[in-house]
Amino acid sequence: MTTEALIPKTGIRYWPARFLRGIVRFLKLMSRNKTGFVGFLLFIGFVLLTTVGPLFVPQAKSANIMEIYAPPCKLSQWVEFLRTSWFERVPHSEIKASSAPMCSEHLLGTDSQGKDIFAQIVHGGRDILQMALLTGLISTFVGVALGSLSALIGGGFDAFLTMLADIWLTIPRFPLLAVLATLVKLDNMLFLALLLSVLSWAGLYRSIRAQVFSIKERDYIEAATALDLGMWHIIFSEVLPNMLSYIAISFTFGMTSAIYAQVGLVFLGLVPLTRNWGVMINLAWTQGAIFFKDSVYFIMAPVTAIALFQLSIVWMSRSLEEIFNPRLRTG
Amino acid sequence: MQEARSKMENKVVDVFKSKVPLTVEDLWVEYQIERGVVKAVRGVSFALARGESLALIGESGCGKTTLGVALIRLLVQAARIPKGEITYWRGNQGIDVLSLTQRELRRFRWRECAMVFQSALNAFNPVLRIWDQILDTAKAHGVMSRGQVRERALQLLEYVQLDPKRVIDAYPHELSGGMRQRVLLAMSLLLDPQVLILDEPTTALDILTQRTIIDLLRRLKEEIGFSMLFISHDLATAAELADRVATMYAGSIVEVGPVEDIFYRPVHPYTLGLIRAVPTVTGEFEALVSIPGAPPDLVAPPPGCKFHPRCPYVTERCRVEEPKLEPFYGEMHSVACFNVQRVQQDTLDLQERYAKYMGGKAA
Amino acid sequence: MLARAVFTIWFVTSLIFFLVRLMPSNPIEVYINELIVQYGLPYAEARDQAASLFAIDLDAPLHLQYLDYMAQLSRGNLGDSLRSPGTSVWEIIVAFLPWTLFSVGLGLLISFLLGVLIGMLLAYNRRAFWEPVVSGVASILSSIPNYIIGIVLLVYLGVYWNLVPIHQMRGSRSPGIEPGFTWVFIKDIFFHAALPILTYVLSSIGGWILSMKSSTIGTLGEDYVTVARARGLSEGRITTAYVGRNAMLPLITQLLVSIGFVVGGSLLIESIFVYQGIGYRLLTALSTRDYPLMQGIFLIITISVVVSNLVADFVYGWFDPRVRVAGGD
Repeated sequence: MTTEALIPKTGIRYWPARFLRGIVRFLKLMSRNKTGFVGFLLFIGFVLLTTVGPLFVPQAKSANIMEIYAPPCKLSQWVEFLRTSWFERVPHSEIKASSAPMCSEHLLGTDSQGKDIFAQIVHGGRDILQMALLTGLISTFVGVALGSLSALIGGGFDAFLTMLADIWLTIPRFPLLAVLATLVKLDNMLFLALLLSVLSWAGLYRSIRAQVFSIKERDYIEAATALDLGMWHIIFSEVLPNMLSYIAISFTFGMTSAIYAQVGLVFLGLVPLTRNWGVMINLAWTQGAIFFKDSVYFIMAPVTAIALFQLSIVWMSRSLEEIFNPRLRTG
Repeated sequence: MQEARSKMENKVVDVFKSKVPLTVEDLWVEYQIERGVVKAVRGVSFALARGESLALIGESGCGKTTLGVALIRLLVQAARIPKGEITYWRGNQGIDVLSLTQRELRRFRWRECAMVFQSALNAFNPVLRIWDQILDTAKAHGVMSRGQVRERALQLLEYVQLDPKRVIDAYPHELSGGMRQRVLLAMSLLLDPQVLILDEPTTALDILTQRTIIDLLRRLKEEIGFSMLFISHDLATAAELADRVATMYAGSIVEVGPVEDIFYRPVHPYTLGLIRAVPTVTGEFEALVSIPGAPPDLVAPPPGCKFHPRCPYVTERCRVEEPKLEPFYGEMHSVACFNVQRVQQDTLDLQERYAKYMGGKAA
Repeated sequence: MLARAVFTIWFVTSLIFFLVRLMPSNPIEVYINELIVQYGLPYAEARDQAASLFAIDLDAPLHLQYLDYMAQLSRGNLGDSLRSPGTSVWEIIVAFLPWTLFSVGLGLLISFLLGVLIGMLLAYNRRAFWEPVVSGVASILSSIPNYIIGIVLLVYLGVYWNLVPIHQMRGSRSPGIEPGFTWVFIKDIFFHAALPILTYVLSSIGGWILSMKSSTIGTLGEDYVTVARARGLSEGRITTAYVGRNAMLPLITQLLVSIGFVVGGSLLIESIFVYQGIGYRLLTALSTRDYPLMQGIFLIITISVVVSNLVADFVYGWFDPRVRVAGGD
């Protein structure tokens, strides 16, 4: 623990140092579970890509029509390109006009309008990420609040909510969303997030409620009550810490179902949102990109992005689960 | 030294061989764990005579359950038997249990030797009726026709004082803990085994049910005449059910003898400690003495006698040399200790009681 | 339990009713406007037409309309489709629902059976080298959304590697083949349903594998398994009747409850493969704003979920005797 000695306890260097130490500790915890750590890194990667990336990667601009569905250049083609342009001093434009088959300088090729796919991926993730986080937060909050209140208050309140939740759970969510999308204009992201949270409260409510019930009966709660420690103290110091793993899981689940719903709706063309991965898939689909070998990048790029993003969230939740549930830790 | 030891033990075993269903010779059982190798059973030898009831008493972790489980080779995968012999005698034929094939082993289990684990609470498949599970057992051994099984099952259930018609068609969750224990006992006698191993038969039960089970076991033993090896930490049960008692410590038997001997003339410090530590429900108030310390680490046990760190009679010799089990009060009562004389000095009060007891018996 | 199911259905139908009537862009009014604009009908006539199509009386106050709606429903009258005039909603549903039930049902069944087998296999072979590999694959499959799997299958199997003639596989059956119990017809419907079913199987098998694996591992540690071995029962008997049956119990409720979710997801899968099931029809209804049809289909989907949950409760008792006495709840 020599680092402790080196870090001053007072002065302006204290808080940043503590913050850094906290981060290091967090990273160490995350790395306990291998899949979880990979998921975490992937997740951070995506976050960076979609939030910071747009600063570095310019927006995709409509390029020449000649570059529709151009697949990215293979390594050999790059080498050839470099050779001709460098060694033989052939001007850039001449090469592009003459070389066939056509390949694109863009990393992932171009779409039906000649726009760079990679740039679109970088710019298109932010919507989805924001919505996922927002929905995750709201639905977790609602689920935790209602679930714990319901379990702690009990009685008629609890019975009523439980019955409501049971009924709610039997309603198929995605068709309802689809129907609602036609009845109401869903172009505001916040509204969509709220709607999704409202539709998915029942599942989280149930599991949180079950958890609180089981915790309520446990011995240490009885002990705390016997010691007259007060309801708020019990909730925050005894009950909640034991539920953290559940809350973390609920959060990630909220995120994944939000992504599923949003991309699904957009894919079906039911929601007029701005350019994001779902919209890319929709466009690729409607414009028949799936039927050509060259244009496969247009559809597979967003598909892969979504799949990897979902995976990263799911894997990350394993690490979170281990962190918050000390019993699962093998160390 | 090894030779002398096995010769002595063989002598004891030989005495029994003609009338004995089960002999165990120099059995060792080890487990591989992360830290090292746990030597759970270290060189145990004993014989179980026909119709006799032998109690194996010891603290948790002394290896008694492992020993019991080893007899039917139901050990976990991480366990090994590096040395030893378990021989099961049917008539004049000896079956080497350790070299049975999987198939033969399955035939052996329950038919020749049945093991009843502690707490029958979860011993039955929750989705099958009792009758189905009994039938399963019988079919696996293929010895009786369906009708015969039914008849015998009803008989046995009645024998253990249950309502046979009601129980046989019930699901396990419909029966109480005590009832399930009795059903398990009845099932264990289904194929008429020669040896019954009971692991903590009364531990998980309440006092009243314990009484019922103990009485039942006693009756069963007297009327049916199987040999019983029962494993327990409870001396009281031993006093009621056993003909012979063996105390086990850190994987080996430290003392074995007839039940009265063990209770009134214990000569191993550990046995003495056990006796002194148990209060009598009725009777005079005596000072209770608990045994200080904790059982040794079986991965790296101390040298010499394994009990020496906790023994009030410890000497230098105990710290380096491990005592072997040797007869003391005649062939029947053996002990593994160097300081038996000093123990005898301290148990004069018990010995008095023994004399009175034996005198009473003679009269 | 039955009461709760009926209550749920009532709740959902009322919900739909009020949704349709009270939404900001009231679909009925929109339709009336459309009629006026497109066909030049006077308002009164347009209203009447709308009323008959939606199977409601627009003049009456809301609560009476509601009662009338419920009365119509109980008689099985769901109204007529807007875009296919003359065809009742019920007719359309009957034409499309069986395809979804067929594909979803088969997909679920296959993924459950295979998943349970593989899961048990994994639990029994924890130390084999392939166990973590298969578990990892299952984990990945279960995390990827089902429509993504569908798209990937379509793009790669159909286009990129050209393994499957997707153009011919569109639709639920080939034109020109008469429906009936002929071998030709049966082969045909399987041909068309192959990719959707494969998608359902791949997207749900991961979950079954992992659930069954953990359930089996738990069951293997139970006392009664050890006792069964001590009783000399054969491994085969132990695996099926002692481990298998008990490990499957928690999965059975999961199975029956998941029917609702797969029906919901059929929307996306069917549109990807252009498979004419109820999900697909709902989508076309949505895009053409065919409100009575939307209402009707949504209702049917919800009813099927409720019914399957009900069946789940009843059937579970057959599997787990511990629950029978209480009768469910």
